[in-house]
Amino acid sequence: MLKYSIRRLLGMIPMLILISIVVFSLAKLMPGDSLSGEIDPLNTDPQYIAEMREKLGYNDPLPVQYVNWISGFVQGEFGKSTRFQIPVFDLIMEKIPNTLLLGITALIITYIMAFLMGMYSGRRPYTLGDNAIAGFNYIMLAIPSFVAAVFAIYIFAFQLNWFPFAGSVDILAQEGSLEYYLSRMHHVLLPAIVLGAMSTASYTQFLRNDIIENSRKDFVRTARAKGTPMKKIYNVHILRNSIIPLVTFLGFDFAALIGGAIITETIFTYPGIGQLFLESVTSRDYPTLMALTMLLSFLTLFGNLLADILYGVVDPRIRLD
Amino acid sequence: MASSTTIAQQKKPERSLSPWQIARRKFVRNKLAMISSCFIVLVTLMSLSAPFLAPVLSPLPDISKVNIGAMNIEPNSEHLLGTDKSGRDVLTRLFYGGRISLLVGFSATLMVIVLGTLVGALAGFFGGMIDSILMRFTDFVLNFPFLVFVIVLNTILYGIVDGLWVLIMVIGALSWGGVARLVRSKVLAEKENEYILAALSIGCSPFKVITKHLLPNVVSTIIVQGTLIFATMIVIESALSYLGFGVPQATPSWGNMLSSANEPDVLQGKPWIWMPPAIIITLTILSINFIGEGLKDALNPKSLR
Repeated sequence: MLKYSIRRLLGMIPMLILISIVVFSLAKLMPGDSLSGEIDPLNTDPQYIAEMREKLGYNDPLPVQYVNWISGFVQGEFGKSTRFQIPVFDLIMEKIPNTLLLGITALIITYIMAFLMGMYSGRRPYTLGDNAIAGFNYIMLAIPSFVAAVFAIYIFAFQLNWFPFAGSVDILAQEGSLEYYLSRMHHVLLPAIVLGAMSTASYTQFLRNDIIENSRKDFVRTARAKGTPMKKIYNVHILRNSIIPLVTFLGFDFAALIGGAIITETIFTYPGIGQLFLESVTSRDYPTLMALTMLLSFLTLFGNLLADILYGVVDPRIRLD
Repeated sequence: MASSTTIAQQKKPERSLSPWQIARRKFVRNKLAMISSCFIVLVTLMSLSAPFLAPVLSPLPDISKVNIGAMNIEPNSEHLLGTDKSGRDVLTRLFYGGRISLLVGFSATLMVIVLGTLVGALAGFFGGMIDSILMRFTDFVLNFPFLVFVIVLNTILYGIVDGLWVLIMVIGALSWGGVARLVRSKVLAEKENEYILAALSIGCSPFKVITKHLLPNVVSTIIVQGTLIFATMIVIESALSYLGFGVPQATPSWGNMLSSANEPDVLQGKPWIWMPPAIIITLTILSINFIGEGLKDALNPKSLR
């Protein structure tokens, strides 16, 4: 197990190097460069600009530039944002808590909804309730997340006034006070529901099918023969076995949440990593763009790896090495 | 003697149905899939005939012209779905938007299917070195954060090539990984059969074995997968256009039309501008998914429905 994990982790390195080369080439292919972030913006003397360009290494051959960039990158030197004139690292650190809060809330919502619906459906398969849940899930799966987000804002923020439609916190709230945290939760809830509903369908159907399959196993018959109440069999014996495979979904969710966050954060104008990424593309903020692309690629790779490893952990029948 | 011939004539053996005929019968019996097919055909026809339908249905058939006198009109008998903030008829734009959205979806799907089938079939059939190289490459493409790279690539290529085809190529080039894996696994299973060995032993070239013997046996899987990918591609096109990184803003597509919902005032007070594209996107996606499920059932010889 450990051997396998280490081997897979090492296997990520060539992948990351390849991605970093692609990211670097893409950034170089885009018009303009990140020079303006490093120099004094008020000094427009062409000689000064040419001097700084030479000094900061923008005239070096591309392979040298790449090595300089990547060696700085692995040491946490992401460069300076051309848009905000502050280090990219600080910029990302400022936005990451918001994205984490959104992602975790979305995951919790997914789990709660999937458990309630999956357990109901699994216990009473092929009934009206099960079909209704399946139909609901099918529609949730088919509606694109951005369409769902637009409708959610229209209905819950504008028509019903239940939620705010933009931002991550009420600007009037004092940081550190209870109202501040409540306001943050209030702001994150609607985007999290939209983001969380996206993956609920697959969780629910998986849980349902697993419960149905497990309910035909021998240990259930034994439990019934001993006189264990059905409620206990379903809620303890079967559920314990059915939760395990669900863990593997966590890794894939990682990647899905990243993609989903870009769209959801933009629609809800929620200041997180996804929104920062799109803004860095539109404003040609290359250091931020490169750092974020690398970060998001790393997280996607890591998510896939996590899924594979968890698969082996929860199901001893799968041999990884 | 005479009686036996009459019996033979009476009991003229009925030709048994071909697999495709069976599939068609099963599909036609699936109500949901049939309704969905009708809807998709209707949407396609309306989109294709947009230049002819527009002058009949709306007093402002020109979608590129800004009409200052007719801005933000609510739906009425003249403008069935109202007009947008530039005074363009929403219904007309919906028809023209369908052309773009369906074209992007269809072309990208075609590209994904062709690339994926090619890579998957080659990797599965030849195995060994070719298989490992192609599959490592597939892993590489699959591990890319898709949305991130589409947005960056689209920004770079924008302006060099016509915007629409950039989008199609970028989406297509980054999403064939899943199909390649699926086709490879199917080909791997199929190539163990004896008829492949027979074909090879009588001297069929690998090209012929793949096109004439292997692919016809995996084509049903590819068709089902293609349908579902078509839906995904339409979603990706409209999501990217909605974010402003897809089809150029001047060209109407469903995603571009929906992007007017980015302005809180339109979203809150003028639902007739953004609701029609939102509803038609959702219905189209749902229908395509139902068709895909119907095809999956129909093409599966084990399902009895």
